[in-house]
Amino acid sequence: MGQIMLQVNAINKRVNTFNGELEILKDVSLSLNRGQSLAITGASGSGKSTLLGILAGLDTPSSGRVCLAGVDLSELDEEGRARVRAEQVGFVFQSFQLLPGLTALENVMLPLELHGVGSAKKRAENFLARVGLAERLSHYPKQLSGGEQQRVAIARAFASEPKILFADEPTGNLDSVTGAKIIELVFELNREQGTTLVLVTHEQRLADRCDCHLTLEAGAVLPSVEQQATEFLSC
Amino acid sequence: MLAAKLLWRNARSAEVKLLFTALLLAVAMVTAIGLLSDRLEATLLKQSNSFIGADRQIYSPQPISPLWSQQAQAFGLQQVRLENFSSMVFSSPAAEGYSVQSAQGSSSQTAEGSSSQTAEGSSVQSADGPAAFEERMQLAAIKAVEPGYPLVGQMEISTVPFATRSVDIEKTDAVPGLGEAWVDSRLLAQLDLNINNSVFVGEKRLKITRVIITEPDRGGGFSLFAPRLMMNRADLAATEVIQPGSRIAYHWLLAGTEPQLKAFLDKLQPELSDHHQLVDLERAQQGLASTLATARQFLLLAVVIAMLLAGIALVISSSRFAARHTEQVALLKSLGASSWKIRRLYLGQLLLLALASSVAGLLLAEILQRLIALAVVMMAAVELQPGSYRPYVLGIVSGVTCLIFFALPPLWHLPKISPLRILRQDLPVSSVRITVQVLLGTLAVLLLVYLFSGNIWLTLSVGAALLAVVSVAALVALGLLRLSHTLGSSAGSIWRLAIAGIKRRSGQSLLQVVVFAIALLLLLTMYAVRTSLIDEWQLQLPTDAPNHFLINIAPEQVDAVAEKLQRRGLNTAEIYPMVRGRLVKINAVEPSPALRKKVPLLRREANISWSKNLPADNQLSSGKWWHSEEEFESKGQQRGLPRVSVESKLAKKLGVGVGTKLQFSFGGLTLDAQISSLRQLEWDNMKPNFYFIFEPQVLDKFSPMYMTSSHIPPSEKAVVAEVLRDYPTIVVIEIDKVIEQIRDIVDKVGRAVEVVLALVLVGGILVLAAAVNASIDSRLQEVGLIRALGSSRKLILGSLAIEFSLLGACAGIIAVLGSEALLLGLQQQVFKMPVAPHYELWLAGPLLGTLLVGSLGVFSCRRVLNTPPSVVLREVG
Ligand SMILES: Nc1ncnc2c1ncn2[C@@H]1O[C@H](COP(=O)(O)OP(=O)(O)OP(=O)(O)O)[C@@H](O)[C@H]1O
Ligand SMILES: [Mg+2]
Repeated sequence: MGQIMLQVNAINKRVNTFNGELEILKDVSLSLNRGQSLAITGASGSGKSTLLGILAGLDTPSSGRVCLAGVDLSELDEEGRARVRAEQVGFVFQSFQLLPGLTALENVMLPLELHGVGSAKKRAENFLARVGLAERLSHYPKQLSGGEQQRVAIARAFASEPKILFADEPTGNLDSVTGAKIIELVFELNREQGTTLVLVTHEQRLADRCDCHLTLEAGAVLPSVEQQATEFLSC
Repeated sequence: MLAAKLLWRNARSAEVKLLFTALLLAVAMVTAIGLLSDRLEATLLKQSNSFIGADRQIYSPQPISPLWSQQAQAFGLQQVRLENFSSMVFSSPAAEGYSVQSAQGSSSQTAEGSSSQTAEGSSVQSADGPAAFEERMQLAAIKAVEPGYPLVGQMEISTVPFATRSVDIEKTDAVPGLGEAWVDSRLLAQLDLNINNSVFVGEKRLKITRVIITEPDRGGGFSLFAPRLMMNRADLAATEVIQPGSRIAYHWLLAGTEPQLKAFLDKLQPELSDHHQLVDLERAQQGLASTLATARQFLLLAVVIAMLLAGIALVISSSRFAARHTEQVALLKSLGASSWKIRRLYLGQLLLLALASSVAGLLLAEILQRLIALAVVMMAAVELQPGSYRPYVLGIVSGVTCLIFFALPPLWHLPKISPLRILRQDLPVSSVRITVQVLLGTLAVLLLVYLFSGNIWLTLSVGAALLAVVSVAALVALGLLRLSHTLGSSAGSIWRLAIAGIKRRSGQSLLQVVVFAIALLLLLTMYAVRTSLIDEWQLQLPTDAPNHFLINIAPEQVDAVAEKLQRRGLNTAEIYPMVRGRLVKINAVEPSPALRKKVPLLRREANISWSKNLPADNQLSSGKWWHSEEEFESKGQQRGLPRVSVESKLAKKLGVGVGTKLQFSFGGLTLDAQISSLRQLEWDNMKPNFYFIFEPQVLDKFSPMYMTSSHIPPSEKAVVAEVLRDYPTIVVIEIDKVIEQIRDIVDKVGRAVEVVLALVLVGGILVLAAAVNASIDSRLQEVGLIRALGSSRKLILGSLAIEFSLLGACAGIIAVLGSEALLLGLQQQVFKMPVAPHYELWLAGPLLGTLLVGSLGVFSCRRVLNTPPSVVLREVG
């Protein structure tokens, strides 16, 4: 296992629509070292979520290669990718994606139990306390505010100590103050656990805090000033 | 056990509760109805078996081997033995006789102590013999019983002859004591005796302590011409009437559970000879047996319908479960759960759910059936027989089968959901095609129906009905959508909202219509079958059916007897002439010993009648009925041999047909005749039936006697005693008790059917409620939104009511169509009833659909209107 956490070589994504084939991603390449953070920005519909899905192994590119933690995802089937996700990956979503039927605590425990981690409850409680929700363990998502729900989602993501965390607009549904707090939390945990971060965001403020920055436009990487200098995206 | 944990946590959610309830309903409904049917069936069978005083009877001209008795005991069967024979009984000289009016009637017949009364149409009674001092004698049907008789049913006895008031009548499990005799009231009248007088049976003097009001195994028909005298078996030897060569029927009565009986009889079978006759209800009371058989079919149908309803509930709830769990699965997948793991997780949850609901379902079923049994005891004063364990197994099996075929398909795609759905909610979910689901469900249903019923016609009928419903539903739904286009634009706002709702959810609406329709179809069918069954049963035994037969009326007595009855306002039905005669030659050849052995009628005399017209209940199966005399002459046909019409089954046994020449012997005089027709008749319609009917006048020279029948209500029962006193030679056969007994059982069968129908109805409504509830989800958000936008409560409720009512009405119409299809198959092939359209259904179906679905819909959505829109939106959003 080398220093490189994420290595992407010339991926393309094409989908078939009623109006013929549509190319969502064009020749995207990047690489990211362990513990670093990457921000992906771009206009709505530029392909950010699509790229994130492919990077996290939720989806496959039409062509090109994705290496995650030294494993070539394109050589794996869905089951293999699931294993990689289970071992390496955490998620935070714009719409939180908490299960409505489970309490905050149970939501955080879910991945731990799924992976058969011992003392799931203790760990979940710890992480909920870390995000400031020690008092809300037995509350259901609908009893929590949006910001609280997102904090539960972050606790869930970090509780299983992923090597790499993918977040799709984690602050998109929150006001700027709450959003800032959430971002703080994410970077704090990132520092503590040495987690690699990949964030999709609209916010320049957030993008600036990341080690690297990639902008998509109509599915292609827009060369930024620094990038033009380095000729190849590498942080 | 992550599955258990997940299930436990999910258990709070509505969809798991619904799935649990549906499964519970499935198991509980099938088990409870199965249990109840089982118990009712066993009860009815027991009650009906009182007709033979046992569950089975074996009789033979030789005593039953003691070895068999031991075997029966080893099989845990109850048994008693009794002897039946005919013998003269004499009024004892010691009795203070006051037979002043004796020797009044003239009788041309003599005693003929032959044949046991279990053979149909047996012995003749004798009239009073030579009256030496005041002694009278009478041929009686003697029955020597031992304690324990009857094994099934009860005797009714009295100290008042011809008693009709219930205070005079006593039910008993006892038998006549040593030195005692119980007799028919008419024997007292015929011997001119009273209670506590004595009679002689052979050498033994017996004191008459009771009169017999009912004797369960007496049987209908004309078996018992002679009055009954019942005595204790222990006195039999002392009578000295049993000599080598006397004709005695040794009866062996057995009782036990069906499996015990079957096992024992299977074992005994090889040892039974030709002389042994096995009697079960089927043989003794065909009509009642077939009533029971239809009732059994009905109960079976009820179980099948319960299962279908449960299946529907399961499909609905598991579809909803699947819809709700799509996100959960996507999340689990993004968290790295493999398809395999998810499959295991969900199968695990489903299994646990099945286990929990099965246990709860069985418990619920047990409680339910106990409650109902209790209610039955209170309402009908009938103790239900215990059932078998089979319904429990049936409940579990159908629960598991329903789970596999109905609940699993909607969940099958869950593990295949792409984890990408977590990012893109618009991603289509490749669920199992609805057509595949329908096909699979239908196949499962047909399989189950066939497994349970073993009846291919029932299965096919159900299949056809389901097919009809689904295809009509598709057409109607299309039509409805078309219509809603035109209606929608012109209607008022409530209607517009309602129709828009249906249109928006056209796929879901279609599914709902199908579900509602199937549930309604099952209920309507159940109701219709029950109604026509009960009607049919009541038709079988009209309340004014003749319940007394007067036989052996001399020609000169006919008018007087008829007048006597008429004075009491009693009608005599037709008066039949009757001659006792024996068939001696077929085509001029005496029947072979083998044939004589096969056909009992060749060994004894038969009642032979003549008639100008074909009796009402008879049907000509071949040949022609005689034309009137005039027609004859006009055709210029030659008169040949006297013509006779023969009962068709007998003809088959004898191997005779139209044109065969028969020779009869009437008290030594012979008569040659030729068969001109064969007739089919119903033997157990409680009416006089004859094997041979001649054309008029032919039998005039053989000194005929007459018989008639009448409906004599209990209040007029005294007339029987009067007739017997005035005309001692006349034989009165009372079948009023038998008819009452049959009617009572049919009544109970009817009530049992009602109870089961009620259960199924409740199940059906629960399923409808579940279906409505499942569709509420998507509506709630909408209602909340519309409410938030400021619509009035009235508008929302109105449009909901209209939307659900429209769906319900649609479903009702389709249900009627399907129901008629199902009924056609059921009535024609399963219940063998006449097929007729059910007009009442055409009204009930749409009405029921509209009201039921409409009100259930409004009721389920009402909650939303009473909660602030913000809460609703937060909850469903
Ligand atoms: N499976 C698909 N079928 C058709 N079109 C697709 C599919 N997946 C993505 N697209 C299209 O590709 C484009 C990029 O989508 P994507 O969700 O990646 O955009 P995005 O940059 O995340 O936008 P936003 O900021 O609004 O979330 C969009 O126009 C979308 O409609
Ligand atoms: Mg996006």
